[in-house]
Amino acid sequence: MTLLALEDVVIRYGQAVAVDGVSLAVGSGERVALIGPNGAGKTSVLNAACGVIRPAAGRVEIDGRVLTGATPAAVVRRGISQVPEGRHVFATLPVEANLLLGAYGRVFRLEIVSSTLRYLRSKRDVREQLERVYELLPKLRELRERPAGRTSGGEQQMVAIGRALMARPRLLAIDELSLGLAPLLVQSLAEFLVRLNEEEGVAILLVDQSAALAFSLCERAYVLETGRIVLDGASRDLEGRSEVRSAYLGGGPEDPA
Amino acid sequence: MTTFFQFVVVGISTGSVFAIVGMSLVLVYRATGIVNFAQGVFAVLAGLLTYSFVQHMPLALAAMLATLATALVATLVAVVAVGFRGRTTHLASLIITVGIAIFAEAVLLAAFGEVPRSYPAISDRAWEVGGVLIQPQYAVLALVALAAAFLLTLFLRRTIVGQALVASADSPRAAELIGLNLRSIAVIAFAVAGALTAVGGVLLAPTVPVSYSSGLTITINGFAAAVFGGLVSIRLALLGGYALGVLQQLVVGYVDSQYSLIIALLVMLVLIGWRSRGELAV
Repeated sequence: MTLLALEDVVIRYGQAVAVDGVSLAVGSGERVALIGPNGAGKTSVLNAACGVIRPAAGRVEIDGRVLTGATPAAVVRRGISQVPEGRHVFATLPVEANLLLGAYGRVFRLEIVSSTLRYLRSKRDVREQLERVYELLPKLRELRERPAGRTSGGEQQMVAIGRALMARPRLLAIDELSLGLAPLLVQSLAEFLVRLNEEEGVAILLVDQSAALAFSLCERAYVLETGRIVLDGASRDLEGRSEVRSAYLGGGPEDPA
Repeated sequence: MTTFFQFVVVGISTGSVFAIVGMSLVLVYRATGIVNFAQGVFAVLAGLLTYSFVQHMPLALAAMLATLATALVATLVAVVAVGFRGRTTHLASLIITVGIAIFAEAVLLAAFGEVPRSYPAISDRAWEVGGVLIQPQYAVLALVALAAAFLLTLFLRRTIVGQALVASADSPRAAELIGLNLRSIAVIAFAVAGALTAVGGVLLAPTVPVSYSSGLTITINGFAAAVFGGLVSIRLALLGGYALGVLQQLVVGYVDSQYSLIIALLVMLVLIGWRSRGELAV
């Protein structure tokens, strides 16, 4: 069943067209990647899906319901959480507070008093989910008291993922998982995401410049160039195509790497 | 020496008001990234409202009503300053608050006249400690500032609402992504800070009469106190307020009263210059 669908989405910044009629779909429990060079419009597509920017044209659907131009909060409530590029942890707050805010954000509405009551009433669920996130990412339990800004880049990526998971998403939208992180660390985060997907059934939409990572992590991928989807299909098919190899995998068709 | 300690005592009491306003500024800044130049207006409004209400009801009730009304006005200021969609830049918001402060002076002048107003203190007795007179009002002011610092720190560190305020300032983008509404956050920060400053204003008026034009002076003094803690530390804003109050009283007592505001400005400038060289203290 299709969880998230974008149809003919157009995004403009002033006169400039950043995204020109992009359609993509992520089924529940699927792992899908969106790759492409810098400036192709990957983050814009992701932000349109998450309600951060309103598309100039086209539709965003979650579970078949049109949610074009909804707020990020509404998208989170419908089960899609974003891990933003550059992680954006709440630097002065302890790691655990970062995580708890993920749960608070999900029940937050315009009015703060009832939002807070709703959160406090669900405190048992929140504790349970926190325990779950600590089981999935044990490192975070060790760091719970430490201000998130004083953890390493990889740890901050875990905080950002854990914070998104606290909202109990059905789809995790990750913007640049690998940016600025050591390859070994990226590998273990990727393995974690596969486990999360297989064991918990959380769908993954990964936006990344690294095609190698995207292909190894995701079953399907879309290739975005200058605002348009130029290729899409199963990762292993795309991986074998010469134009993808030369443009994204740093080698010609004969290159075995 | 008795005179010196008398100045210190008075200084701590006026400094408490600076501290209260300073902590309010810190709260708003930490939650929204906005420096609210209309903060002092809330103290004046609360003082003048209490003066008006107290003609018709007991002081405690008048003070409570004035505080509540001021918090409501602060909520409105938040909506105007932050914008209806929460998309106003911090610089624009800051300029809007300056505008509101100027506009508020005109409204306060029209509503309450130009005469500085005061009303009876909590008690007209005074304790004498080694020749130094301590009015109960002074003690209450100092204690309220201390309690406010304690409670605010607890609020920001330990409650989910307080943490949401801090989160919104740490990363507005991430706060929005997890589902927080930045405008709601700004409103709650302005309201809490408005109520706190209002309490300061209510307690200040019996010792120093307030008029429509007192707002700017109070804001500047509060800002100077807040700058002690780099605009982010509640604890240092409290200490800054006390220190500034005492320093001013000493200058007023031993030199000349017309220098009191200049002292605040000078302290502020030196601190900003000094702080901008190093990193911000948290």
